[in-house]
Amino acid sequence: MITSTAAKVKVDPRDAKLSMAHFFVAFSALALGGLMGLLQTLVRSGKWELPWGIDYYQILTVHGVLMGLVLTTFFIMGFQYAAVSRTTGGHSSAARRAGWIGFWVMLVGTLMAATMVLLKEASVLYTFYAPLKAHWIFYLGLTFVIVGSWIDGAAQIMTYARWRKNNPGQPSPLLSFMAVINTVMWIVATLGVAATVLFQLLPWSLGLVDTVDVLVSRTLFWYFGHPLVYFWLLPAYMCWYAIIPKIIGGKIFSDSLARLSFILFLLFSIPVGFHHQLTEPGIDPAWKFFQVILTFMVVIPSLMTAFSLFATFERYGRSKGATGLFGWFRVLPWGDARFIVPFIGMAAFIPAGAGGIINASNQMDQVVHNTIWITGHFHLTAATSVVLTFFGISYWLVPHLTGRRLTKAMNKLAIIQAWVWFIGMVFMSGSMHIQGLLGGPRRSAFSTYGGSEQAAEWIPYQIAQAVGGTILFLGIILVLIIFVNLAFFAPKGEEEFPVAEAENPEEKAPMVFENWKLWLGITAALILFAYTIPFIDIIQNAPPGSKGFQTWSKW
Amino acid sequence: MAKTVLKTNQKTEMEDRSSLKGTLASVFFLGIFIIVTWVSVYYLFVDRF
Repeated sequence: MITSTAAKVKVDPRDAKLSMAHFFVAFSALALGGLMGLLQTLVRSGKWELPWGIDYYQILTVHGVLMGLVLTTFFIMGFQYAAVSRTTGGHSSAARRAGWIGFWVMLVGTLMAATMVLLKEASVLYTFYAPLKAHWIFYLGLTFVIVGSWIDGAAQIMTYARWRKNNPGQPSPLLSFMAVINTVMWIVATLGVAATVLFQLLPWSLGLVDTVDVLVSRTLFWYFGHPLVYFWLLPAYMCWYAIIPKIIGGKIFSDSLARLSFILFLLFSIPVGFHHQLTEPGIDPAWKFFQVILTFMVVIPSLMTAFSLFATFERYGRSKGATGLFGWFRVLPWGDARFIVPFIGMAAFIPAGAGGIINASNQMDQVVHNTIWITGHFHLTAATSVVLTFFGISYWLVPHLTGRRLTKAMNKLAIIQAWVWFIGMVFMSGSMHIQGLLGGPRRSAFSTYGGSEQAAEWIPYQIAQAVGGTILFLGIILVLIIFVNLAFFAPKGEEEFPVAEAENPEEKAPMVFENWKLWLGITAALILFAYTIPFIDIIQNAPPGSKGFQTWSKW
Repeated sequence: MAKTVLKTNQKTEMEDRSSLKGTLASVFFLGIFIIVTWVSVYYLFVDRF
């Protein structure tokens, strides 16, 4: 890091404690959510049924909420909190207090929502689409999770602001800058989901109003839902841009390029929610088209990232004497879990990104919408690129925070874990993609659809998904073994928190990147432009509201 | 007097350390992969709708 010479090399032990608290919740969610995922694939194989009256849609909700909302949010907040501490020299006691308050509020919210799901009062899947109606405590719990994440994020922003104040005219440390971009994007994005929960779903579930405007709630959800996936992805990019170069022994290709790509994510990942609603009636196609264009703008920073990573690897390889077109590829540290685990994640992002471009294209969305192709897609993005990077981070961050070491045996087990994950995902996500192209629906338990011929074609792929799901569950068991080892049993010692330096440290990042008024102004302008007119239209021409539905079996 | 002959036909094997031709090839591969997958699904669409 160019400007972090004053920063401590180790995360402050008091900050480490809070990060670890986040990770314990995140990995508990992984254990339970992973088990639910396994059960889902077994049910969908048609060879097994859930015992004791447990309902498929209940375990689907548990899986989605725990993996998509709890694991990710807790891991990201814990990681970013540690990254800001490491690169700015530590949090103040006020920021630390904010962090703890945020953590507890999120945890209480998680427990409230989880209780309602377990009581079969909220089998509404992680998207909680109206008019499916959950118990009000479920919605209130989710509100707590979101408000808690704001307080938690405020801790990072406070420390960043203090660093800026103490270092006038200096670009902030790259990892802190990236963490704050992601937090700010998260706060802007969650305003949408907070609005639908507070103003629509809570009053409706409490019985204060009888009906809900479905399209308004879904539009507010997807205003949040797309940046949500970038909220998951950007911490992985933080690792790829600013940590992996140090692990391999290279340099960041360009500090400014990394910052610019994060700013582009802030600008373009929010005003794009309509591409999730392309088949939804009631939204003017012209505005859908406009948001699709903005969606394609988000491809740019991802391609910048791909270029930058290839360049970092090639520069490093050539500095080691590699020759030829791809000689540099061979000299990368393939025996280091801290590298290879996230690397498999990066490689998975190639088909994942290509699939995303297909999803966002209006015509092709008619082919894949609501099919299990989409599930296959986000199991490549979130459940491979993102989580493998998170696992790769935790393999050095957990021992760093607990004062232990990643041993050779655990390093080896971590590499095996990543390959097990990769193989499981090839089976599961691969067959989901193919089944989706053949028309197989998502969000559905096993059914032969009245003996339909087309549905019979899907069953072999569902069996392949069960095979993949089983392999993935083995992968989860390995992750949990490694996590518990690194948290409690690994030998005491020092594990590095790697922070890379830019290749040309004399080239300071332009200060305009830290001009928050400018970037937040453009973000707001883009959001207002993309949403104001269609939103007025949606409200003015709304159909009658819908009463609530509970389609799942009760205890 | 003997003439000093400058040997110019000897090729010096020096690869530029700052070369990014592998990166160029990689991003081309990436771009082609995206286009091929996109076009494949587009044909599915044209075929079905």
